Amino acid sequence: MIEHLLILGDLLDLFTSPSRLIAVLIEGLAKASLYVMIASGLTLIFGLMDVINFAHGAFTMYGAYMAGGLILAVGAAEMGLAMVVVVFLLVMLTIFLVLALIGTVMEVSLVRRLYEYPPIFQILLTFGIAITLEEFMRMFVEFQGINNGQYRFGWETPRLETVPTALRGATDIGLIRFENIHVLEILLGVVTVVAIWTFLNRTRYGLFVRAGVEDEEMAAALGINVKQTFTVVFAIGSGIAGAAGVILMWDPLWSVSVPLALAVLLPAFVIVIVGGLGSFKGTVVASLLVGMIDAFGTWAFQTGAITFTGIDDLMIFGILVVMLILQPRGLFGVEGQGDHG
Amino acid sequence: MSTDTAAPEAADEGSALAPWVGGYLRDHAIHIAVVAFFIVYPFLYDVLVGQFGLPAEMLLPRLQTMLVVLWLGLFAMSFDFISGYTGYLSFGHAAFFGIGAYTVVLGANGQLPLLPGGLSFMTLMLVSALLAVVVALLIGLVSFRLSGVYFAMITLGFAEIMYVASRNWDWLTPGQSDPSDGINTPADFNPELGVPFVDPLQVETGVFGDDAILGINFGDLLVYNENLGAIVASYFAIGAVVLVCYLAMQRIIHSPFGRVMIAIRENEERAKAIGYDTFKFKLGAFMISAFFGAVAGALLVAYRGSVNPDAAFFFLVTGFALVAAIIGGLGTLAGPFFGYIFLEGIEEFLARGGSGGGLQPFLEEFLPGGILEMTIGGDLTISGALDAFMTGHGEFYAGIIFVIFVLYVPIGILGTLRLRLGADSVATYVSRRLGGSTGTGGSGGGGKSAAAESTTAAESVTAEGGEEDAPREGGGPAEGGE
Repeated sequence: MIEHLLILGDLLDLFTSPSRLIAVLIEGLAKASLYVMIASGLTLIFGLMDVINFAHGAFTMYGAYMAGGLILAVGAAEMGLAMVVVVFLLVMLTIFLVLALIGTVMEVSLVRRLYEYPPIFQILLTFGIAITLEEFMRMFVEFQGINNGQYRFGWETPRLETVPTALRGATDIGLIRFENIHVLEILLGVVTVVAIWTFLNRTRYGLFVRAGVEDEEMAAALGINVKQTFTVVFAIGSGIAGAAGVILMWDPLWSVSVPLALAVLLPAFVIVIVGGLGSFKGTVVASLLVGMIDAFGTWAFQTGAITFTGIDDLMIFGILVVMLILQPRGLFGVEGQGDHG
Repeated sequence: MSTDTAAPEAADEGSALAPWVGGYLRDHAIHIAVVAFFIVYPFLYDVLVGQFGLPAEMLLPRLQTMLVVLWLGLFAMSFDFISGYTGYLSFGHAAFFGIGAYTVVLGANGQLPLLPGGLSFMTLMLVSALLAVVVALLIGLVSFRLSGVYFAMITLGFAEIMYVASRNWDWLTPGQSDPSDGINTPADFNPELGVPFVDPLQVETGVFGDDAILGINFGDLLVYNENLGAIVASYFAIGAVVLVCYLAMQRIIHSPFGRVMIAIRENEERAKAIGYDTFKFKLGAFMISAFFGAVAGALLVAYRGSVNPDAAFFFLVTGFALVAAIIGGLGTLAGPFFGYIFLEGIEEFLARGGSGGGLQPFLEEFLPGGILEMTIGGDLTISGALDAFMTGHGEFYAGIIFVIFVLYVPIGILGTLRLRLGADSVATYVSRRLGGSTGTGGSGGGGKSAAAESTTAAESVTAEGGEEDAPREGGGPAEGGE
């Protein structure tokens, strides 16, 4: 009984103290930004191509490792904050291009062969690719001893060394208190959403993509090169996955490791499904939803109201199950999308 | 074990007993041959490795591997039972494997509410399987309102919730270590498999279990590896359970119930239109498959005596069942089992898991030292490269093989075999050849083959063209490419 009163007290405390509420909201926004970066590549690819890209998480993990290597190679740790951020953004752009290239190769050489098969075969193919990529990275990492203390190439666990000191702490401005890294995350999240929205709604290619989602055969009949559009979208989706890995590398909750691939893939699925397959708007809303709930869960854990350590993951999958029970097509899902085997 | 030996013995007496026995044996000739091979395998392995040493050890899967394949293969079969036959991808199937394993361990630790402590392993296995059936009912009631990707994702969601719980829930390990490290059965818990109430047919499984069944000591029968007796005994005991489960599932597939499952896969709308309540059939199939999935999990505990979240509820447990099912042939019941043998065999060959076996020791033995010490680049020698790429990274090769199968052999080993032989199943083909006539003859073969023939045709269509799916998709975006 007393425990329950305490929880109630904590809740009251949260909602009566604006500074604490704002802190939780900022954290939720930061989490949502990460989620939207993780999930939007997946949703782009699925929306147009009906391909659930299981290798998505592996791309993110590759992006994180490569970014770590690059940043260390440049020696960013010794630079000033402004310089580090510039280097960071350049690295992110590079990783985007590299992963987009890898995605292009994969689409042209492998995924393309299976478009006339039932969708399950594309799931299977990308799943096989994901296993191979992850294990290859594990081989490489163990071989280089990156996580074991022997550094052949001077690669260290990239996160800790490369995060500039200015981004490590927290800042207080009046009532507001936030982790510095969260500012960068929120900015990048907003940029990602705006960029993808602009691409889809303000560019010629985006028009092709939307036409393809709407009715692929009709789009092809009107002279749109659907095949090429598929390749471009797959490349962009893969690139975004890699770029997301770059920021995950700096976030203390994620950091870089081989299991990052799976740790990214599953929440990304959840967000895409909760938002509704193929709907970018849905993905953004679902990211906000999951991010906020995640932040409140973390807060509840910190106050001691909940003592279960796996609360984050539990809630993410709880949201998935509850959403599918209440709203089987997700928030903004289209009837018929993703129903077939 | 009793089933294993009974079959070949009966073969000799077949003609004297009754006419139907001959027909029955003919229908199951391939099953008998396969079971016979599995019975002989430990002794074959023993003799070949003893005689030829390293080359044989390189090529043949170790007995420990074959033992692991038994329960993993059973799990893959139970996964195929629902996914391959009804077309509903049960992506969280590991939930049932985990329930099977965890229930047995918790029961052995006396932690299950409402149950007395000190129950025998067989009882616990049954309890765990029934619990899995109940959980499958609950999950199914919610999930079968969805289809396609949504169904796959909601089952995955349930399994992941269980995975998170199994990693973090302190109740699982009272006063012990971190639950994510797994739980052990108590030291005095001796899992006994066998025919209930027949004492001589009880086998204590595990590395330190019995090494004799019916007074036959396997340690004595093995010429070169006497110390493997307990493993062989466990192999037979667990193999017998797997065989019984396989036959039960096969029986269900060939029953009218199984026909409806296939009808649901081929065209659910049509099955509904004919008047079948497909929801109930899907739910029933899901519960049956959960039952066998949990038995597979319990068998894991029977041998290992412990369980951890990553070996039970983890997403990749389902993932590799899926890989095995595709390699062996989705929608062929025995296929996933052979798929697992193939997968584990290749993994062991290219990336030995534990001790011994595989290509690497062979190369290190037979390649001259000069080549081994040659440097490839930097300070990396060939033997160093062998160490880095051929020890313990089986998933890398499994992934590559899987991709090749998806691209070039999408209907899997058994599926391709069926297509080549032009029969609804390899078993029917063999029995037809043995029978010498064009009809299936024997007992109960006639109606069976006609119904199943269409399955093969449909399978090849699904795998090769996807035309069968076109009307269902209603002009969705899936019809891409050429």
